[in-house]
Amino acid sequence: MDLLSFLLVQCLNALSQAALLFFLGVGLTLIFGIMRIVNFAHGTFYMLGAFLGYSAVRLTGSFWAGLVLGPLVAGGIGAAFEMGLLRRLYKRDDSAFLMVTFGLTLVLGEIIRLVWGVDALQVQVPDSLSGIVFLLDEPFPVYRLFLVAAGAIVAVGIWQFLERTRLGLLIRATSQNAEMVHALGVDVNLVRSGIFGIGCGLAALGGVLAAPLLSASLGMAGNAIIDAFVIVIIGGMGSFPGSLLAAILVAFVQVFGTYYFPDFAMAAMYLLMLLVLVVRPGGLLGKEA
Amino acid sequence: MRIFVCVALLLAMAPLGLPLFAMTLLTEALILGLLAMSLDLMVGYTRLISFGHAAAYGLGAYASGYLLLHTSLPLPFAVLAASVLAGVVAIGVAWVCTLAKGVSFSMLTLAFAQLLYAVAFKWTSVTGASDGLAGIPRTAGPFGVTVFQTKNGYYYLVLVCLLGAYLFCRSLVGSPFGAVLRGIRENEAKTLSLGYNTRLYKIAVVAVSFALGGLAGALYSPFAGFANTELVFWLFSGQVLIMVIVGGQGTLIGPILGAAFFMLLEHVLSQYTESWALFFGLIFIGFVMFAPQGIWGLLTRRARA
Amino acid sequence: MSVSRRVLLQTAAVAGMTRRAFAADSIKIGIPVALTGPLGGIGAQMRRACEFWAKQVNAKGGLLGRPIELIVEDTAANPATTVRKVQEMVERSGVRLITCIVASNEALAVVPKLAEWDTIFVSGDNGDGRLTGESLVPNFFRPNVSGPMGTRAVTLWLRDSPMKKFYGIGMDYAWGHNSMEVFESEAKRAGKEFLGAVFSPTGTKDFSTYITKIRQSGADGCYLVLAGDDNVAFLTQAKQYRLGEKVQLLTEQVDEMGINASGDASVGLIGGSRYPAALDNPQNKAFVAAWQAEYGRLPQMFEGDQYQSCIVMQAGIEKAGSVEAAKLRAALEGLVVTSVKGPITMRACDHQAEQPGFVVKVVKKDGMEHPVPEVIATYKADRVTPPCNQMVYTD
Repeated sequence: MDLLSFLLVQCLNALSQAALLFFLGVGLTLIFGIMRIVNFAHGTFYMLGAFLGYSAVRLTGSFWAGLVLGPLVAGGIGAAFEMGLLRRLYKRDDSAFLMVTFGLTLVLGEIIRLVWGVDALQVQVPDSLSGIVFLLDEPFPVYRLFLVAAGAIVAVGIWQFLERTRLGLLIRATSQNAEMVHALGVDVNLVRSGIFGIGCGLAALGGVLAAPLLSASLGMAGNAIIDAFVIVIIGGMGSFPGSLLAAILVAFVQVFGTYYFPDFAMAAMYLLMLLVLVVRPGGLLGKEA
Repeated sequence: MRIFVCVALLLAMAPLGLPLFAMTLLTEALILGLLAMSLDLMVGYTRLISFGHAAAYGLGAYASGYLLLHTSLPLPFAVLAASVLAGVVAIGVAWVCTLAKGVSFSMLTLAFAQLLYAVAFKWTSVTGASDGLAGIPRTAGPFGVTVFQTKNGYYYLVLVCLLGAYLFCRSLVGSPFGAVLRGIRENEAKTLSLGYNTRLYKIAVVAVSFALGGLAGALYSPFAGFANTELVFWLFSGQVLIMVIVGGQGTLIGPILGAAFFMLLEHVLSQYTESWALFFGLIFIGFVMFAPQGIWGLLTRRARA
Repeated sequence: MSVSRRVLLQTAAVAGMTRRAFAADSIKIGIPVALTGPLGGIGAQMRRACEFWAKQVNAKGGLLGRPIELIVEDTAANPATTVRKVQEMVERSGVRLITCIVASNEALAVVPKLAEWDTIFVSGDNGDGRLTGESLVPNFFRPNVSGPMGTRAVTLWLRDSPMKKFYGIGMDYAWGHNSMEVFESEAKRAGKEFLGAVFSPTGTKDFSTYITKIRQSGADGCYLVLAGDDNVAFLTQAKQYRLGEKVQLLTEQVDEMGINASGDASVGLIGGSRYPAALDNPQNKAFVAAWQAEYGRLPQMFEGDQYQSCIVMQAGIEKAGSVEAAKLRAALEGLVVTSVKGPITMRACDHQAEQPGFVVKVVKKDGMEHPVPEVIATYKADRVTPPCNQMVYTD
């Protein structure tokens, strides 16, 4: 492997990893950055997505169906949770959210265990994406290129959604001044349910997309929630370009850090966060501390 | 104060009435209670939401474990030294973390705790890496005292530490120092404008909190006989925070009850059913919905009514 | 705190006894097992084997005329919880014998306390070489295959293979480093070249960089010391990068859970097996037949190995006539049992069972949903069991 092909492969490795981190982080940016809710259950929705994706693929035989159904169902569960429980807590301090979503993590995790069992479940890459391409004579999985493309599409999609659509406008407005939006005759509650549902759905989308690399397993949720928080914080709370930038940065540090200093693989992400926060307490593209 | 004396007496008499195993559980509950109470100084009184308090516990646990395994230091001195170490380390950590506020502060504490976790995983010669330290003895002394080697003797050591720490914290939050902390909690900018160096106060409270959290960890490792990386892991930091909230933040007593409740509930539920996490989670959700002030709030409201 | 709070096994019903009478003179065995968390899958296998064995024994009238009662507790693989749960079993339920602990770090936290508890711990899967080495305590016994023994079997097979250069990837904790050391020294002794190894933190999701490193190393074979989710993720991703076309993947243990979760990605993998269900001896055939009647499938690796540990416990208790630690310990030392892997000896010097080692290759078979391990080599006990208290071999 010469230097050029090494760099090319490693950069693509990093970008595909960045895509997965971005899916994880962007949903939390919505929930955490805009609604100021510490959603401890975010990683569990990511895991739920993988299991839902597995079942959808089993039932329909199509990975694409899983890609649609997984986020939809998970988003629906998220929205229902917001309507049923979170809605009653907006007058309370942040700790109430932390606790209620901690409870949700346990409940949802156990339900997943009861429904799908303890063994990891394989999710096949669809045939059209299971091949390899040769980049400067080095084999590279098509599926990883697909992840990079999917990440780019979702990033552009979210950006356009927030800029161009009415709901996007409402979301931005709600984050600035909920009472004003309410005074304009908009059902703020519905917007909040929508944001929470979309956030959970995005986590689940990340889970479905990650499943062909990891299999759907009970260990998935583990560090996912922390990875997601790190992305959001490094990027700056509530900043979409920030979480994209952070995902790319973290992925490159992970991929090249692991290559040159494997002993620091465990600490790399946290050292990066420490550095960023000390220099810019509000995150890379965040406004305030 | 009368209630305090009653509870203290009751706890002191516990070994007379409780079976062997209940004493084991109670000892562990008190240790966790001390940890949760130490976090309450930061969370409840100063609104410094630490997401890395496992670092304090882990530092204390590893330090006392190491001292007991590799030196002949008497147990109480090893525990004390570990606690001081946690407090001293905290000054450095707090100096960096207090550069930020709010959520960024929380994430910085998390980053430090996770770095400590990585160190615990890699510094094999001191921490035993992934195995941790096992077979930590309860050494005799000082002055030939062997009472702490027995089960009940150790329970009394933990009890004295907890009661002492509680009295210390109570007088701390009641002092002018505590008033400044509450000022920071309510409105830091205003407190700053009144001429208080709030950052210094915050560093001080983190150091005290870590020293007491370190004390809890230092008591844990000779109690369990081991210390390992789980004690420093972020998940445990999150759990301690939950203990504080479920007990009732800003009350000192509440978090102690919260810790005992958290541990005993998990312990008991997991005996009944493999799906204990389901019920555990539901109970927490129920608490948030119906007992916003936590366990202590529930108890005092009942008492007032 | 009532007695009924305890998780009792349904075998009480099988033996036709009431719970109260059952608790009075039963042989209590503590099962502090990880049922939740990432290791829950292995824990479920091990518990199933214990329950299957207890049911078999109780159906025949029990042990020493007493029924077996399993006291199952979930540890979630957290050593702090494990120590607390075992302590409760000992202090409250009067347990004097435990088995079924899943993770080695749980085992390492428990063993220093065994003397204080006057309790025997019979390992069912704990592989860390030091448990019968520097960390050995008198009340610990290991009927199962250890990590170094699994590695040894693979390296014995390598001696006859044309592969020359090796690289390794292991999980960054004690087991990974431990097994990699054994592999390195064994590979060198076999006249092979060991190019180096890399260790990935537990819970690693993306193995692309590690795959790049392995590819760059120029090795013919890569030795994996990975377990659980990490193992599945690595195999799946390695297949996506077509790593197997260039490098033969070798592993310390081939378990069915990993195969089922990674599917075709595991085909071609060669590695040690602690228990292959295909073993051809009367004891194993009877076990497999009974197991299939009960569960409708073949027993898996951790099920077979845990079952062997149960058989060893059973023989020990029968010989000792008691579960008292001192008597049971004396009975277990030097015990010879014919188990599902044939005759095995619990040697007295380090409490490790001398038993054969198996090397398997994962193949696809018609009519099977998942690929299956096929035995390609078997080595005698004296070749795979290390010298007493050792983790390295001398020949």
